[in-house]
Amino acid sequence: MPRSSKTPLAWKNLTHDWRRLAAAIAGIGFAVLLMFTQVGFQNALFDSQVKIIDDLQGDIFLVSKAKYTLAAEKRFSISRIHQARSCSGVSGAYPLYSELTTSVLRKMEQGKGNRGYPLRSLGFQLGDPIFKSKDIQQNLDLLRQPSTALIDKKSKSKKFGISLKKSANLAQNTLELANKRLTLVGTFNLGTDFAHDGNLVMSSENFARYFPLRKRFGDPLSVVDVGIIHVQKGFSPKDVQQVLKKTLDDDVLVLTRDTFRADEIKFWDKSTPIGTIFLAGTLIGFVVGMVICYQVIYSDIAEHMPEFATLKAMGYKTSYFFRLIVVEALLLSVIGFVPAVIASRLIYEWLAGQTGLLMQMTPTGIAYIFAMTVGMCVVSGLLAVRKLLAADPASLF
Amino acid sequence: MTAQTTIPATSGAFIGELQLPLTVQVKNLNHFFGEGELRKQALFNNNLEVRRGEIVIMTGPSGSGKTTLLTLVGTLRTTQDGSLKVLGNELQGCNRDLIVNVRRELGFIFQAHNLFESLTAYQNVNMSAELAELNPMIANGRIKSLLTRLGLGERIHYKPNSLSGGQKQRVAIARGLVHKPKIILADEPTAALDEKSGREVVTLFQELARDEGCTIIMVTHDNRILDVADRIVNIVDGHIKSNVLVQEASVICDFLKQIPLFDNQTPNTLAQIADQMMVHRAKPGDTIIRQGDPGDLFYLIRSGTVEVRIHDGRQEKTVATLTEGQYFGEAALITNEPRNATVIAKEESVFYALDKQNFHTVLKESASFEEELRQALFNRQ
Repeated sequence: MPRSSKTPLAWKNLTHDWRRLAAAIAGIGFAVLLMFTQVGFQNALFDSQVKIIDDLQGDIFLVSKAKYTLAAEKRFSISRIHQARSCSGVSGAYPLYSELTTSVLRKMEQGKGNRGYPLRSLGFQLGDPIFKSKDIQQNLDLLRQPSTALIDKKSKSKKFGISLKKSANLAQNTLELANKRLTLVGTFNLGTDFAHDGNLVMSSENFARYFPLRKRFGDPLSVVDVGIIHVQKGFSPKDVQQVLKKTLDDDVLVLTRDTFRADEIKFWDKSTPIGTIFLAGTLIGFVVGMVICYQVIYSDIAEHMPEFATLKAMGYKTSYFFRLIVVEALLLSVIGFVPAVIASRLIYEWLAGQTGLLMQMTPTGIAYIFAMTVGMCVVSGLLAVRKLLAADPASLF
Repeated sequence: MTAQTTIPATSGAFIGELQLPLTVQVKNLNHFFGEGELRKQALFNNNLEVRRGEIVIMTGPSGSGKTTLLTLVGTLRTTQDGSLKVLGNELQGCNRDLIVNVRRELGFIFQAHNLFESLTAYQNVNMSAELAELNPMIANGRIKSLLTRLGLGERIHYKPNSLSGGQKQRVAIARGLVHKPKIILADEPTAALDEKSGREVVTLFQELARDEGCTIIMVTHDNRILDVADRIVNIVDGHIKSNVLVQEASVICDFLKQIPLFDNQTPNTLAQIADQMMVHRAKPGDTIIRQGDPGDLFYLIRSGTVEVRIHDGRQEKTVATLTEGQYFGEAALITNEPRNATVIAKEESVFYALDKQNFHTVLKESASFEEELRQALFNRQ
């Protein structure tokens, strides 16, 4: 006889009392939501952290050996870029300049300065194919003018006091960057992360003007933050990486796009407590869900002890009860999960709007949380099943 | 001499006819509750045999152990001491798989209905049909006809919440019967039912016993349904006080009534006398009593034929041949004279024998006719 024609006792028991079912869905959904936000924040942090890498062109990247994260202001000599340019397989090598601590943006009102806040300034030689962003490529002419920059649309506008919604009004803001006049001539799209509240992009000439003290003695553009290397067609980035490693002094790291990205994520995951904090948050969600699920299944069992004992007396085997509870747990996880995904989706959008972080709901992420939810329900079901196995049919007479 | 047994005549163990197989066989069964110093014996050396198609009613005061015996037979408790065979399976020391298999041959009807609130009447009954792996078409037909028979035809797809107490109980009864169990174990099945539906349930029981050979063991205090019992077992303080095959007891009483000696006895006293009779068996040629021997037993022939011979000093003469329903040795009950004749079995025979001492005890204890009449009038409802 096919399984499907059997009385769906697990489903019937679960859905019999809609009030309890609603409570169960709310409880489990809450736990799922908790896990989703934790994992979402963690991924947002990591993805936001490497968003700039994703937005850069190039196959191989050079960074100072001392640069443990993008936000660390460790630089290397521009001569490494020149050396790299001469290696076989390299079609181009370009410097990217970045400044954070001295890059303080301040809004001026009626001749008085407000409090300034630091944001990341990125400088590049305007002809260099560094950024993927079309907004930057189309505004190169504007950037050629002195004291101009593009501002990241996702910068925290409240903090800086600039409305970023209409790019036409941008130039009307009276601004100072590192105590020098700055005119915003347009916007581009990058996004904030945990270290950077906003971004500016400008020509290297302007960059040198704002930050002349990058190098204590000498040309501020002679020290580079990130070197971007394009590989000639027909060469594999791996091979070119090996050549560069041999050629360049070992004060720079030669990284492929993937390792650059992975190293950056690894730093935030392992070297800061952030990974652990979000893992703990996820586990708390898991435990909360487990307790709720256990409570739901346990009370369902406890209220039906005589009925289950009757089934035992009729000759239902232990394996049937195990199956019953596992099915009930699976059903709970599914019906708790679906509304929670929808709610999480809304919360992701809201959080992304509020924080500028990259809150993405990927299929992998959904699958991961669903696996956690199923695990949470099944484990608590198996814990609760002991109560059911204790049902004594002899007590019925 | 005859082979004397310790089996009471009324138990019907030797009615001399072809008997149906035993479905429940309880031998020297003891049961205890608790551990160590708190250990308390609940059943004492119980013996009981129930055959296919028998309807057994167990009575006795509450706490007497009848429910314990019922749960032991139902495999719901582990057999501790003694032997218990259900449908040919020894339950003493058996494994879990055997227990599950035996349980699927049983039908339980509990005092509480224990229905799943989330399932309809049909689905609740179907839980039992599914376990028996009945063909869904056949199961469907049987569930509907059973529920209709029990007066729930209109409410097959109702949930227990919308059924009355009696209706729920009838659904539970249908659940206990749908898989055609070989033994039905019921605890007060009619307690929650009105006269009419209670009667319908016991009629159903009778049909199952007669047509399907189903054995039914029920604990009940409902004297409205006593008439369906083939056997009435009375348990007091863990001892089986009496175990009477109703049919056999009435046969014995009918025999006794025809004997002048028992003329004046009330039916109640006759039943008590019948209870005191023990089964004796003899092979062809066995001498049952010998002329001149002292004797204190009265014999009723249940089956077989005997010859009565008298030795008049010179030779022995056969004076009579006695057969089923006839009796001999009645003088021993009233006088102390030695036997005045010899009785020899002509074929394999079974007798019910009454001991003189027991006979007098019953007479002394039994109420007078008038007293019994008063009792009957007093208890009239």
